[in-house]
Amino acid sequence: MTAFGKLIRTTAFRLTLVYLFLFALFAASLLGYFAWNTRRLITEQITTTVNAEIGEISDIFGRRGLRGLVLTIENRALRPGANLYLVTTPAGQAIAGNVGSLAPGVMATTGWSETDYRRLDEQDTADHRALLRVTELSSGFRLLIGRDLEERRRLFGIVANAAQWSVLIVVVLGLGGGIFVARRVLRRIDAMTGTTQRIMAGDLSGRLPVGRSGDELDRLAENLNAMLERIEALMMGLKEVSDNIAHDLKTPLTRLRNRAEEALAKSGSEAEYRGALERTIEESDGLIRTFNALLMIARAESGQARGNMDNFDAADVANGIHELYEPLAEDDGMTLHVKTEPAPLHGNRELISQALANLVENAIKYGKPVVAPQPLGADAVAKAPSKEILIEARRIGDQVQLSVTDHGPGIPPADRKHAVERFVRLEASRTQPGSGLGLSLASAVATLHGGDLRLGDAYPGLTATLAIPALSAHDGVAAQTHDVPQKVA
Amino acid sequence: MTVTDTQMRLLIVEDDRESADYLVKAFREVGYVADHAGDGEEGLSLADTGEYDVLVIDRMLPKRDGLSLIGSLREKGNRTPALILSALGQVDDRIKGLRAGGDDYLPKPYSFAELLARVEVLSRRHGGPAEETTYRVGDLELDRLSHRVARGKDELTLQPREFRLLEYLMKHAGQVVTRTMLLENVWDYHFDPQTNVIDVHISRLRSKIDKGFERPLLHTIRGAGYMIRDGLR
Repeated sequence: MTAFGKLIRTTAFRLTLVYLFLFALFAASLLGYFAWNTRRLITEQITTTVNAEIGEISDIFGRRGLRGLVLTIENRALRPGANLYLVTTPAGQAIAGNVGSLAPGVMATTGWSETDYRRLDEQDTADHRALLRVTELSSGFRLLIGRDLEERRRLFGIVANAAQWSVLIVVVLGLGGGIFVARRVLRRIDAMTGTTQRIMAGDLSGRLPVGRSGDELDRLAENLNAMLERIEALMMGLKEVSDNIAHDLKTPLTRLRNRAEEALAKSGSEAEYRGALERTIEESDGLIRTFNALLMIARAESGQARGNMDNFDAADVANGIHELYEPLAEDDGMTLHVKTEPAPLHGNRELISQALANLVENAIKYGKPVVAPQPLGADAVAKAPSKEILIEARRIGDQVQLSVTDHGPGIPPADRKHAVERFVRLEASRTQPGSGLGLSLASAVATLHGGDLRLGDAYPGLTATLAIPALSAHDGVAAQTHDVPQKVA
Repeated sequence: MTVTDTQMRLLIVEDDRESADYLVKAFREVGYVADHAGDGEEGLSLADTGEYDVLVIDRMLPKRDGLSLIGSLREKGNRTPALILSALGQVDDRIKGLRAGGDDYLPKPYSFAELLARVEVLSRRHGGPAEETTYRVGDLELDRLSHRVARGKDELTLQPREFRLLEYLMKHAGQVVTRTMLLENVWDYHFDPQTNVIDVHISRLRSKIDKGFERPLLHTIRGAGYMIRDGLR
C-alpha cells in the first residue's frame, strides 16, 4: 500500500471527509439563506419607495396639473442616484423623465415589471435592469417610476463570491487538517506497530511510545505497556524457574550418575555395592520429592486445586500439625507450642496443612537461636535465646492467619521477597538439606486461596504467616477464592 | 501352574511391558502368584473371574482406563481389593480413584517395598478376620474399646495419637507398614514431609512399649518401614 493510500484509509481522514462535506453544506446553505433574504429585503424596499413616490406624484399631478408633474419629474430625475422616471402622453410619447429606451410594450401595461432599460444621459450601449411600476394617471397620461437593480445584483455577487471562497477555504483547511491529523495518528500507529513487531520477534524489552497528551492513544499505549511489563515479568519468572529446575534437578542427577559410575568402576565388596545402591535410591527419592513439590506448586499456582475445597477450622489444622511435629522439635532440642482460636475458612485442607507443615519444618531447621557475642558492657539482663516455636491460628478481621514464629536468625527484610522464590536457599541454609521449595509452596497455596504468605520479624526471629480470607458467617461458601491476585513469579 | 491355598494371587494390569515384568517377577520372588494383563479389556475379563486376592491397576491403560475397569467390576458386585497406580499423584486425583471404587492409591514412582506393604494390607483386609476389639502381639495387649494398653502386667499410658499409631500397627501385626501408610492412616495427611517426622513418633512409641523389656516388638524394616511382631513367632 502506498503512503497516500494508507493515509486516506485512516479513520481520522475518513471522518475528516464526512465533516468536510457537512461543513461545506452548512456554509453554502447559510450563505444561500442570507442571499435570498437580502434580495427579498431589497425588493421590498424598492416597492415601498416606488409606491410612496407614485402616490406623491399622482397627488402633485392632481393638484398642479401636467406642468407641475413635468417640473417635479425633471427636478427629481436630475438628483444623483435618482430613480427612473418616465411620463408619457396618452399617445405614448415621452414628455419627461430620465429613461432613454425601454423594452417595447412596458408602458402598455400598468403594474410591476422587471425589465431592461437605458438612461437618457448614458453614452454606453449597455442595458441595465430595473424594477419598475407603471400607473395610469387621469386623462391617459402614464407614469413610470422604477429603481435600478444594480445594487441588488452587486450584493448578490458579493454573497456568491463569499460562498465560493468560504467553501473553498473549508475544503482546503479541512483536507489539510484531516491529512495532518491522519498522518499524526498514522505515525503513532506505525510506531506502535513497529514496536509490537519487534516484540513479536522476541525482543520483550520493547515498549510502546507514550506521548504527553494523555489522549486515547496514550492511554492505550500505557495499558499495552503495562501488559507487556506483566508478560515480561512472567516470562522472566518462567525462565528463572526453568533455569532453577535445570540446576536443582541436574545436580542430584549428576550426583546419582557419578555414584553409580564410581560403584561400577571399582570392584568392591557386596556391602559396598549395597551401600552405593542404597544411596542411589535415597537420592532418587529426594528427586521424586522435589518433582512432587514442583508439581504441587504448579498446580496451586494455576488454580487447579480449587476442586477440593471445603469449610474447616484453621485451628484444627494448627493443632494437627503441632501434634505431628511436636516430638520432632523436641528431639531437636526445641519446644513447639500452639495457640489457637476458632478460625473457619474455605479451602483445600490438605494443601493448607502441607503449607503449614513446611513452615514448621523450616522453623525447626533454621529457627535455632544464634548466640551472638555480647559486646562488653551490654545490658546485663539480655534475654536468653529462646528455643521456642509458636504455631498460631487466629482470626483477624476477615482474615484467617496461620503463623509460625521462631526465634532464630530470621530473614533480613531485603531477602524476604527472594526467599519465597522457587529453589532459593538463603546463604544461611545452604548447609542444611532441603529442596528450597518449602516457602514457594506455602506462598502458592496462600495465593490459591486468595491470600498471601508474609514474612515478618519476631525480634529476633522469623514470623511466617499464611493470611487467607476467612469464611464469613453468612456466605457459607467463600466467593473470594475466585479472582485470585496473581503472584508475580 | 499349581496354586496352593496359602499363596496369594495377584493381577497386575499395566501396559508398560518393562514395569509389568518387573512387578510380576518381584511379586513372584516374595511368593505371590502374579498374572499380567496389558490393557484394560484384558484386565477386566481376567479380574472378572474373581480368582484374585488383590488387583494392581495402572490408572492410564489402553482400551479401557483403570478407573472404568474398577467401576465395572464394582457394578458387577466384584469386591476384590484394587490398588491404583498413577503417575498423577495429586490429592484430588487420589480422591477420584478412591471414589471410583479403588481401595488404595499409590503415585508413581513408588518403591516396591511400599507397593508390597500396601498389597499385603489390602489382601488381609479382604479375607482377614473381622475387626477385633482386642489386639494381641506377644505380651502386648491393646483394648480398642477401653483404650487400655498393657504389656505383661504393666499398664502403659499412651497419648491418643500414640494409641492410634499402635492400634494401626497392631491391626497389621506381622506386616510391614510404611511411613506413608502411617501418615495417611493415622494422621490422614497425604503429603510427603521432608523430615523424618514419623520416625520420631515411632521412637517415642517404642520407648513406651519396648523400653525395659527383654524382647522388642516394634521393629524397623530397613528400606521399607515398621512392623510389630512377636520376635519369637
